[in-house]
Amino acid sequence: MLTIYINGTGCISPQETAAGGPLLARLHEYEQVRLATVDPDYKQWIDVKQIRRMSRVVKMGVGAANLSLQAAGIAQPDAIVTGTAYGCLDDTGVFLTKMVNQQEEMLTPTAFIQSTHNTVGGQIALLLGCNGYNNTFVHRGFSFENALLDTVMMLREGNAQNILVGGLDELTQHSYQILSRFGLYKKEPVKTMELLKSPTRGTIAGEGAAFFTLGTKPGEHTAAELTGISTLYKPMWEGEVIGHIMKFLEDNACTPNDIDLLVTGRNGDIDQDDIYEEVVEALFPEHPEASFKHLCGEYPTAAGFGMWLANGILADQAVPDVAMFYGKAPRSIKKILLYNHHQGTHHSLILLSHVE
Amino acid sequence: MADLKKQIIEQLNLQEVTPESIGNDEPLFKEGLGLDSIDALELIVLLQQHYNIRIANPEQGPEVFYSIRSMAEFIVAQQTAKA
Repeated sequence: MLTIYINGTGCISPQETAAGGPLLARLHEYEQVRLATVDPDYKQWIDVKQIRRMSRVVKMGVGAANLSLQAAGIAQPDAIVTGTAYGCLDDTGVFLTKMVNQQEEMLTPTAFIQSTHNTVGGQIALLLGCNGYNNTFVHRGFSFENALLDTVMMLREGNAQNILVGGLDELTQHSYQILSRFGLYKKEPVKTMELLKSPTRGTIAGEGAAFFTLGTKPGEHTAAELTGISTLYKPMWEGEVIGHIMKFLEDNACTPNDIDLLVTGRNGDIDQDDIYEEVVEALFPEHPEASFKHLCGEYPTAAGFGMWLANGILADQAVPDVAMFYGKAPRSIKKILLYNHHQGTHHSLILLSHVE
Repeated sequence: MADLKKQIIEQLNLQEVTPESIGNDEPLFKEGLGLDSIDALELIVLLQQHYNIRIANPEQGPEVFYSIRSMAEFIVAQQTAKA
């Protein structure tokens, strides 16, 4: 089967991931329930006349996309595919607030135009002058995964050689308040490095953008290939998840023993982390495990951060101490399985393999 | 005209632009501030919100929104006509 290479990555997150250098070398430790991105200077990619209309999530997306293309050494991808659950929430809030406050009179166009989910994909294309395929997937906890799946299918069908794909979501005052009412987040602030051992319900809110330049040929600095991706919606019980993982590994010609490192989406919510315990106990009892949501917070496209981290681990052949959850980091890392779920309903598997 | 400049900067979220840096006779569109058609809609709303002035004839647009001075003169003329 056609090999799909990760030729470049870009990530903007609550950690200093846009700055380059060693992977997560400088930990941004928080003691709060809501994490916000560490923003680079976006003017390095966006003209000052254009940046004024862009909300944070658009800038995040454009920034991460540019980082990814720069790392891949590609100026123009054949297609742009994005995944976002919430879209451009900030501008949606601005527009709706104006509608209410101004009784649907004298509404300005900018916030409305910028409030759609595909704004980010569109802005990236406009800035690059890319007239190729452009699609945005809005599927809650599968938004990023479905964008990735679409990209894989396009590459395998031979319709493109290089595709820019990414997942992103922002957290706004409105969304944080609404999601807090659903009981998603912890009532008390918790320290970053203590989150995953937290004995309480709820997690920490996060946001970010992670982009990948995927291609059918490896680049000069390519460290990983995307071996497989799969999703499982609303499993009835943990046995279904375990069976799904077994089948996924089998489909990709490997067994649990071939996995050198497991990367999980543990988020410190005792109710939601149960399933990771069950999976680890059944399939990976002695495997070293890394985690990432204590670093980026929980959001529907957080698997993008996880994949960015896994790619970095394969490139460095080392796991940052701040990401290790269980066991000792392996010396040689050939295969990483990323298992993530969002709110217990959206389960996804991403398998990456090292490229020598 | 200074107030109008401040209102435009705020409405259009112009960055790295101060009221002093906008010339009274400088073209607002294309050259000068480099505004575009979306900004034109924002300026129409600005006139409605701050001065209760509606542009009845769309063909007036290019003339009214040519510069800060042309906008200010239009506002004064409309307010005088109402009074």
